Amino acid sequence: MRRVLILTTLLILMSNVGWAHDPIFGIGPHVLFKKGIETAIEIDHSRATEKQEFIPALQLTYGITGNWSAGIEIPYAFKERYAASSQGFTDINIFTKYRFWRRDSLGLQESAAVILKIKTDSGSTTDTPALRTGTTDGIVGLAYGYEGRTWYRWASLRYRYNGTNDAGLQRGNKILLDLVAGVRTNLTSYTEADTVWLLELNGEFSDTTNLNGYNIANTGGRQWFLSPGIFWTKRNFAIKAAVQIPIATSLNGNQNQDDYRAKLVFEWHP
Amino acid sequence: MKQIIFALLMAWSVTALADNIQYTMRVDGMACPYCAYGIEKKLKAIEGVESIDIDLDKGLVIVIGIESLELSEEKMTTLFQDAGFTFRSMKKGTVVDED
Repeated sequence: MRRVLILTTLLILMSNVGWAHDPIFGIGPHVLFKKGIETAIEIDHSRATEKQEFIPALQLTYGITGNWSAGIEIPYAFKERYAASSQGFTDINIFTKYRFWRRDSLGLQESAAVILKIKTDSGSTTDTPALRTGTTDGIVGLAYGYEGRTWYRWASLRYRYNGTNDAGLQRGNKILLDLVAGVRTNLTSYTEADTVWLLELNGEFSDTTNLNGYNIANTGGRQWFLSPGIFWTKRNFAIKAAVQIPIATSLNGNQNQDDYRAKLVFEWHP
Repeated sequence: MKQIIFALLMAWSVTALADNIQYTMRVDGMACPYCAYGIEKKLKAIEGVESIDIDLDKGLVIVIGIESLELSEEKMTTLFQDAGFTFRSMKKGTVVDED
């Protein structure tokens, strides 16, 4: 744990920027201003029976235009499974988002964006539990956002296509559906600290994994999560935190589901 | 010597009594302070801009700058577009320095 704290601190010190006003587990249409740079430290944690993961990641984003941004995410994982544990750099992600529609009015912005994310095959290779999937995966998505002074709502739909590794194993492709509501209970001024409370409904629909064309039992299924969260900002600094709790699960066969997942994000716009 | 002192006094008085320029802009799409930060960053990059205030509830961006600061509607339309917001209109006025 001490190493985790040291690494996280180092990443924060190394970074010089942050993210945007989007849901925490879902995704929103926000992009960065033109020529803006964001740095974020995102820490993912999940726990299940006999399994635990802790993954801090450094995320850098650049605003290509006022409607188009792109970035890179470099994760470092600490994994425990049964008695084994491993740590190291996992697969790097590259991503881009293009906001194709925006409607502005007084204190309100509605917008929609398309998202593309590529998970590269770049993680450490020999560790157990595995720090890489051995595949290049792609995610495409569509996000809508309504952001007012008091109320927020977002909706997003993503499809994840998983590649096949050298052994012929393809993890099941996945559809992700997110519906999110947010409220700002205190309308603060521009320079004051600002808090938005969030409640997300996250659905995950996974195909079965297949090995050389044969479906593998005890893989795939549906899961719904409820995720309360908070978005706290002060000027150009933001902290996001949320916990994802499973509320309805229908997994195929006998599978070990997550007890919970948690996410903590520090963002900074220099 | 008297001439030098007089010139220095004149220079001081011109600086001390110079008015600042204030631009008040109506901007749509500003819902949260964190998102509006890009506006401040872009405006502060303009030479002559001294301070910026944003009123989210009224959709106003107030820019105070030196007397020679000139901001055109065309330039502001592009600037706010790049920041991710919609520029609507702008009023120019003066702020008298009370010092």
